[in-house]
Amino acid sequence: MSSMLQPQIILLKEGTDTSQGKPQLVSNINACTAVADVVRTTLGPRGMDKLIHDDKGSVTISNDGATIMKLLDIVHPAAKILVDIAKSQDSEVGDGTTTVVLLAAEFLREAKPFIEDGVHSQNLIRSYRTACSLAIEKIKELAVSIEGKSIEEKKTLLGKCAATTLSSKLIGGEKEFFASMVVDAVIAIGTDDRLNMIGIKKVPGGNMRDSFLVNGVAFKKTFSYAGFEQQPKKFLNPKILLLNVELELKSEKENAEIRLSDPSQYQSIVDAEWNIIYDKLDKCVQSGAKVVLSRLAIGDLATQYFADRDIFCAGRVAEEDLKRVAAATGGTVQTSVNNIIDEVLGTCEIFEEKQVGNERFNIFNGCPSGQTATIVLRGGADQFIEEAERSLHDAIMIVRRAMKNSTVVAGGGAIDMEISRYLRQHARTIAGKSQLFINSYAKALEVIPRQLCDNAGFDATDVLNKLRQKHALPSGEGAPYGVDIATGGIADSFANFVWEPAVVKINAINAATEAACLVLSVDETVKNPKSESAQGEAAASAMGGRGRGGGFRGRGRGMRR
Amino acid sequence: MGFGMQSMLKEGHKHLSGLDEAVLKNIDACKQLSTITRTSLGPNGMNKMVINHLDKLFVTNDAATIVNELEVQHPAAKILVLASKAQQEEIGDGANLTISFAGELLQAAEELIRMGLHPSEIISGYTKAVNKTVEILDELVEEGSENMDVRDKEQVISRMRAAVASKQFGQEDTLCSLIADACIQVCPKNPVNFNVDNVRVAKLVGGGLHNSAVVPGMVLRTDAVGTMKYIEKAKVAVFVGGVDTSATETKGTVLIHSAEQLENYSKTEEAKVEELIKAVADSGAKVIVSGAAVGEMALHFCERYKLMVLKISSKFELRRFCRTTGSVAMLKLCQPKPDDLGYVDSVSVEEIGGARVTIVKNEVDGNSVATVVLRGSTDSILDDLERAVDDGVNTYKAMCRDSRIVPGAAATEIELAKRVKDFSFQETGLDQYAIAKFAESFEMIPRTLAENAGLNAMEIISSLYAEHASGNTKVGIDLEPGVCKDVSTMRVWDLHVTKLFALKYAADAACTVLRVDQIIMSKPAGGPRRDQPAPGMDED
Repeated sequence: MSSMLQPQIILLKEGTDTSQGKPQLVSNINACTAVADVVRTTLGPRGMDKLIHDDKGSVTISNDGATIMKLLDIVHPAAKILVDIAKSQDSEVGDGTTTVVLLAAEFLREAKPFIEDGVHSQNLIRSYRTACSLAIEKIKELAVSIEGKSIEEKKTLLGKCAATTLSSKLIGGEKEFFASMVVDAVIAIGTDDRLNMIGIKKVPGGNMRDSFLVNGVAFKKTFSYAGFEQQPKKFLNPKILLLNVELELKSEKENAEIRLSDPSQYQSIVDAEWNIIYDKLDKCVQSGAKVVLSRLAIGDLATQYFADRDIFCAGRVAEEDLKRVAAATGGTVQTSVNNIIDEVLGTCEIFEEKQVGNERFNIFNGCPSGQTATIVLRGGADQFIEEAERSLHDAIMIVRRAMKNSTVVAGGGAIDMEISRYLRQHARTIAGKSQLFINSYAKALEVIPRQLCDNAGFDATDVLNKLRQKHALPSGEGAPYGVDIATGGIADSFANFVWEPAVVKINAINAATEAACLVLSVDETVKNPKSESAQGEAAASAMGGRGRGGGFRGRGRGMRR
Repeated sequence: MGFGMQSMLKEGHKHLSGLDEAVLKNIDACKQLSTITRTSLGPNGMNKMVINHLDKLFVTNDAATIVNELEVQHPAAKILVLASKAQQEEIGDGANLTISFAGELLQAAEELIRMGLHPSEIISGYTKAVNKTVEILDELVEEGSENMDVRDKEQVISRMRAAVASKQFGQEDTLCSLIADACIQVCPKNPVNFNVDNVRVAKLVGGGLHNSAVVPGMVLRTDAVGTMKYIEKAKVAVFVGGVDTSATETKGTVLIHSAEQLENYSKTEEAKVEELIKAVADSGAKVIVSGAAVGEMALHFCERYKLMVLKISSKFELRRFCRTTGSVAMLKLCQPKPDDLGYVDSVSVEEIGGARVTIVKNEVDGNSVATVVLRGSTDSILDDLERAVDDGVNTYKAMCRDSRIVPGAAATEIELAKRVKDFSFQETGLDQYAIAKFAESFEMIPRTLAENAGLNAMEIISSLYAEHASGNTKVGIDLEPGVCKDVSTMRVWDLHVTKLFALKYAADAACTVLRVDQIIMSKPAGGPRRDQPAPGMDED
């Protein structure tokens, strides 16, 4: 009791965990570098893939930084920031997610010795921000515009960008093939910025080269009833009716009930029900449509009815697909079969049902409004196709951004080396501490070419020295030189068509700097105990998460030695 | 005494009294709290990572947020928290100043108590000092600043800069111009009626701060329901109750007696919906906004009549939408009267950073809602930017009421320190020591500013005193090169009202804490605590 009378000062709730000061900052930096070490080896054309096995037992093989970061389930609060920037890069530009994580971690790693030496982190932050805006200006200056070129020329240029992205992925072997496919798809949807208008369908079997692009919509054949076999499977210029109606013999409304006093009327009620459905079917036929698609079920009666009249029908079409068909064919989805006017019917050049692998596909080709495209992916294993889909997504995003912003820079680490050189040069003109900081920022940027070399098995130091020499040429002609993955030397990336949209680099540098500054600006962590309600649901994950987090730190430390 | 108390109360209560046990312990707790927030003070303040009980991560240097999420338990420290909350509610900025200054005052009080002063003497000294401070503060007001044009961007930014810079140093120029634009846009004819709720913030991950923009109107984080994605110069009809066939609340069953009734049942329903939608379309409306679900059948007819359909489920958002467009929300789907219709310049669905947002623009005649679209790479950065914007908007509100400014960058504090010190020499009683300590406490602000910026605090303070003694009352710290400079050249101004309330609340809180000489805590209800830590573990 006497100890109770002289209590320690309990300012915060029991169980609250606080840590502060320099050690806290250093430990945050360590956590971030440990996370970056995981994705480090995936960078570049020779990057390795990661196999991630989650607690549900599903396996993902990926090379995509954002996907890996998402699946890692990071609990460390500082390291979570890296996951966030990877996500942000993914949603903003779609590619360069590994780059952004790597850069942020490298900025922090370069800052660490300064912090340990007692530099106030605000000084670092200020210099980093200056360096960041200088770097972005330099990129804008170096970027080459592809505006004003003819559509054919533009296509090849965009293809180069797509190929650069794809070369670092699993499907890199077929990059030309896929690059042209992606460019065609993006050009097909036009300027209207709607990603969901590009569908990617995955069919296991065959090989990558069997993948194809549909200038329109394709989806897997839906479940069908008897009578389907008699329906024609190919139309030229058919009218297409899109419905959101159930074409089935079914009670009309939930809340209606029939009470009959006269049993002789019973037959009339039964007839009435049949009349209703026949009436609906009649109206569909009268509209002149040759293809009827519905989001809801089309029953066996309707299937037979349509088959008799040479009409193709498909029920339970996924909403996404139906919307895409609507956009492609110029039709509108109808919730009622009454009053169908010609305007709401869509059309396309060829509709057919085709065998792809062991699946049947409904394919709408040559659509008039042409705002959609579908890529049908083929490949061996499931995981392989999954990864191919992610890679294509990245490539599509890159091409879209390149079209929107239409400036490109040299890839292969060339732009990073050039900015690094520029910043070093700039740093020499500054008096004071920030000279050192901007220099270290510049050094951190070199991580990209260095990692490219490491992953390809080259001698990074050797290649980097060659690059530095080229970039330091006073004439400036060495600016586009980057790592040449093919020979292990250096080459003019621009001439070799290793191109990246400028916006990818700008966003990556911006996000990485912001994240690094955020981590550097934290000097204290206060962790409140979980409240009762949060405790229950989080208890299980916290246990697993904490164990994994601990493992992380341990591993990181081991690797850095 | 303790014996009597123990026999009086239920077993398990805690009872603390006397100088050592109660007053000094309380002071200690408050000091601890202020050391947490202190390092966040000023433009070079450090961020804190706070993980609250719901496992949400905050990365911020906004003191109000920090103390809010800290879940302070100590009763005396809670008083400080309350003072900062009062400041946050009254002004919306300067919460850190309140806590840090109160902490400093209490630390000074501790020294006085150890010297042998009675708390009541300290309190009376502090009260005198704070009254004097208010007087001096009035004298320090920059001449000519009481008249300002709240619609002039330059003047607004100059007053807002310091508040925003203390949250997002290095980005204050970008942010201030965004905030000022948004505020000026929605400022009503009588600026005193400025409503902070009319400046909205939309946070969209991706890009960087330089991609941020101000939208005259609203940004909804949803897609349009139908296929119509863009419309210009359109009339708007708002329905709160949803756009659907009207259904009865009471459970009912439709009785059908004959075959025709069955056949016509769904047809009549369809016809009814068409009639309603047609009525809306006929009234001239081009956009329908629904507060609840949009029925499939209704949507079908909206598409047919080329109406754009938006769904806003939040009641508050819907109310703001009505304010933006000047429309009157109708309860039921019916033909709207011409007066009930609102107007928008454009409604468009755009993709920003992978998310689809609906942008409602309304630029004519001083629209009432403006949205700052913030871009940043992570959620925590965005949250922090939002807090900076909130502070900026609150500052705008404060300056609409009282536009007087005082020199910032610790110039005011040093001047106050100097003058209150002089004042203490004129006092005769014991409270002159308290007043002197009060004056010294002002030094905390330049000291912290300098420390947080990595400068030598003692050097700075002494040179500040030197400058002020020679009559340069507007000399403050310039943190970039780390020297003393005239604030009018740096353009660092604080609002008079912010400083006034912060100092007042801090002094009040300190006095309240000092007044306490007994703490009685009754036994907490419920069973034994589950997570009782080992004694002595929780002091670090």
